Amino acid sequence: MPKLLIVDDEIDIREFAKNFFKKRNIDVFTASGGQEAFEIIESEKPDLVLLDVRMEEMTGVELLKKVRDTGNNVKVAMVTGVEEEETVQEAENLGIIGYIHKPLVLEELEKIVLKELNNN
Amino acid sequence: MIEQHISLFSVSGLFVFLVSSSIIIVLRKLWLSRLHRIWVFFNFSVAFWGLFAFLFGKENNPSHALVLIRISFIGIIFIPVFLYHTIFILCDLKKTGFLKATYYQAFIWLLLSWSPLFIKDVKFVYSSFYYSDPYFFFHVFIIIWLLIVFISHFELFHTYLKSDYKRKNQILYLFLGVAVGFSGGITNFFPVYNINIYPFGNFLIAFYCIIVSHAIMQYRLSDIRVFITRAGLFISIYALILGIPFAIAFGWQKELVQLIGDNWWIGPLIISTVLATMGPFIYLFIQKKAEDRLFQEQLRYQATLRQASLGMGRIKDLKRLVTLIVHIVTRTVRLEHSMIYLNDSQNKRFYLGASRSRKVRFKPKSIIEYDSPVVNNLSVYKNPIVYDEIKQRTQDYGDLHLAHLEAEMKKIDAALVVPSFVDENLIAIVVLGKKISGQMYSDDDLAVFSILANQAALAIENAQFYEDMKQTHEQLFKAEKMATIGTMADGLSHQINNRLHALGFIAGDILDTIKMKKNMHMPSELREMLIEIEHGLSRIQDNVSQGGEVVQGLLKYSRRGEEGFSEVDFDHLIDASIEMTQFKIKSGSIRILREYDTKLPKIKGNFTQLQEVFFNLIDNAYDAMMQRKEELHEEGYLPTIKIMAQNTQPDFINITVEDNGIGIKGEDRQKLFTPFFTTKLSSKKGTGLGLYVIRKLIEDNHGGQVKYESQFLRGTKVHIRLPVAYT
Repeated sequence: MPKLLIVDDEIDIREFAKNFFKKRNIDVFTASGGQEAFEIIESEKPDLVLLDVRMEEMTGVELLKKVRDTGNNVKVAMVTGVEEEETVQEAENLGIIGYIHKPLVLEELEKIVLKELNNN
Repeated sequence: MIEQHISLFSVSGLFVFLVSSSIIIVLRKLWLSRLHRIWVFFNFSVAFWGLFAFLFGKENNPSHALVLIRISFIGIIFIPVFLYHTIFILCDLKKTGFLKATYYQAFIWLLLSWSPLFIKDVKFVYSSFYYSDPYFFFHVFIIIWLLIVFISHFELFHTYLKSDYKRKNQILYLFLGVAVGFSGGITNFFPVYNINIYPFGNFLIAFYCIIVSHAIMQYRLSDIRVFITRAGLFISIYALILGIPFAIAFGWQKELVQLIGDNWWIGPLIISTVLATMGPFIYLFIQKKAEDRLFQEQLRYQATLRQASLGMGRIKDLKRLVTLIVHIVTRTVRLEHSMIYLNDSQNKRFYLGASRSRKVRFKPKSIIEYDSPVVNNLSVYKNPIVYDEIKQRTQDYGDLHLAHLEAEMKKIDAALVVPSFVDENLIAIVVLGKKISGQMYSDDDLAVFSILANQAALAIENAQFYEDMKQTHEQLFKAEKMATIGTMADGLSHQINNRLHALGFIAGDILDTIKMKKNMHMPSELREMLIEIEHGLSRIQDNVSQGGEVVQGLLKYSRRGEEGFSEVDFDHLIDASIEMTQFKIKSGSIRILREYDTKLPKIKGNFTQLQEVFFNLIDNAYDAMMQRKEELHEEGYLPTIKIMAQNTQPDFINITVEDNGIGIKGEDRQKLFTPFFTTKLSSKKGTGLGLYVIRKLIEDNHGGQVKYESQFLRGTKVHIRLPVAYT
């Protein structure tokens, strides 16, 4: 079963995204903050990470950097509300598969996630 | 050569001649008025007589004296004629029959005066000078002469009874003059009838001329009571000052010689010096007391007004200030009504600030235009205008300017107009009606009102400034609010976005579950319920996406984000825009006409932003039409918005939103697209940001064009060009 990590500080997003992808036979892990996410990435080695840009203790980009610094090239998709020039540039430099904008259309999210996971 | 002996009589003749000649010289400047002209003729007759009286009064040769006397009579013959004519004009009499008769009789006497049947000879009187020795016709002449004078004054009396206060005052002067002058003049006839009283009275004739001239020439004639009081006091006091020492000197000479000795005259001299020094002070003191008593009423309200002038500066609210001013003035001075007009420099006119009247249904004129005669006169002369004076001047001179001014003052019900100046600026115009007592406005009144008016000007300027400050303050506050909202928009939008995101996710996931399970076997009610839930959640998703776009739209105010463009159906767009203003459209009974092809090509644009644009346009149209409704009160006025769109150019759609509201004035047009500019009735109705936003959204975000066309009192057209969407 492909593994998916959803990093988002919103509890509803974590719950219902997990629900949604579980119905599609995907193993879903969730993390509410950067540190927790980092640990799960290390331990579970997910195939795709959906990473929220704006979070409390550590921003999405910071986490991404931390992960890349460990030499981990796990696929990451940034989930963002508003595009910020510097963030976009930085994230792209660190290597992401793309941007998903909030509020998102669930079907599109499904399409993207399934496509990426099937590419493995 | 026989020494010419100058008699007192002759001196009196000279005196009269000089006085009347002076009057003529002064009156020459006022030649234009009929009244003044005839009065000049009167004085000419008097002067003529005076000159020849002077000559024959010192003439020693009887035959020369006779000739001179006969010549002097020419003057006497015309005196009553011109007197009657003067009163004829003054009292505005209509029947010219009697007037003509006096002239005819004068010419008859003119012819007759040379005949011995009139003046037989001369006789030597008072051991001093020659005088006329009368014959039959002389007596007839005297009777007719007296009759004409009597009839003149009878007409005067008749007019007095039906005159207003001002005219009554003037006529009283004339009667006073008669009492003084003609009673003096009568003494002229004593020598004729051998009555042994010296004709001292001649001197008084001159005073008659002076008093009546004063009454006729002065437009602002002081109350006769003042004149009599002052004259009476002056004469009494100086009679005492001069008389007492003289009386002592002549009456008690013997006693003084006994007391003081040879230099007895020092006594009266000291007394007269003391009295002369004290004289002016005594005069002023008694005069003040007398006039205080006479003008109690006036002094009372003048004091009140002065106090009010001081207190005015404290009031900051303009409406309250002007209402208080008219209230105080009308009540204190006891007027029929008073109004105050304020300067509206934007619209180049004065508008009614406040009015107060005794009458319940008093409807004063609401506007005084800048080019009205009243404003012109005030601007040039900077002095109060008294209606009665203007009316009098118009009658006397027939000047067209004055006639216009008089008509205008009548139209605005003004008995007195007082300007309120601050430096050179006419801030306000105070219009006062008649005093209830009917009394006229005195010089003191005008002075006090002028002070009041100019204090009012300062207070009004203050209040206006204060109001402007309040408005600017409000606007700044609003601007700050908007700016704060702008800054908050960022953080807020992120928060709201997150909520929407969560909502969308939740709804989406449940919908997904339902989709997966709905083809399972289940009771029909359950299936129906499931379908209902599915539909509801789908609606929630739609709202979420719309909400997302609104948030994006909000962010456009602060910075550029992603465009979020799509194909926008124009009809659909208009539907949505109208829906946002449903309540206003219904309450204003606004008619909306749509003139475009529903198969118009789609617009490339952001639905929410375009909805914002058209909402603002409809909202502005609504305000303009409501303003027109409230200001113009036109019967059968149908507020209408016309929305037209055409695909005349291949790549663009040209849209026009037209309303028949009040429109924008030329001067305001340039300011239209600046933020905060608004001509809306109350700043609460609009922040004035509308057009600024529209331009930003259409031109910056959509690459379109906005053009504005407006005509004051016709309506406004907004032309928008938007690009066509190509799939």
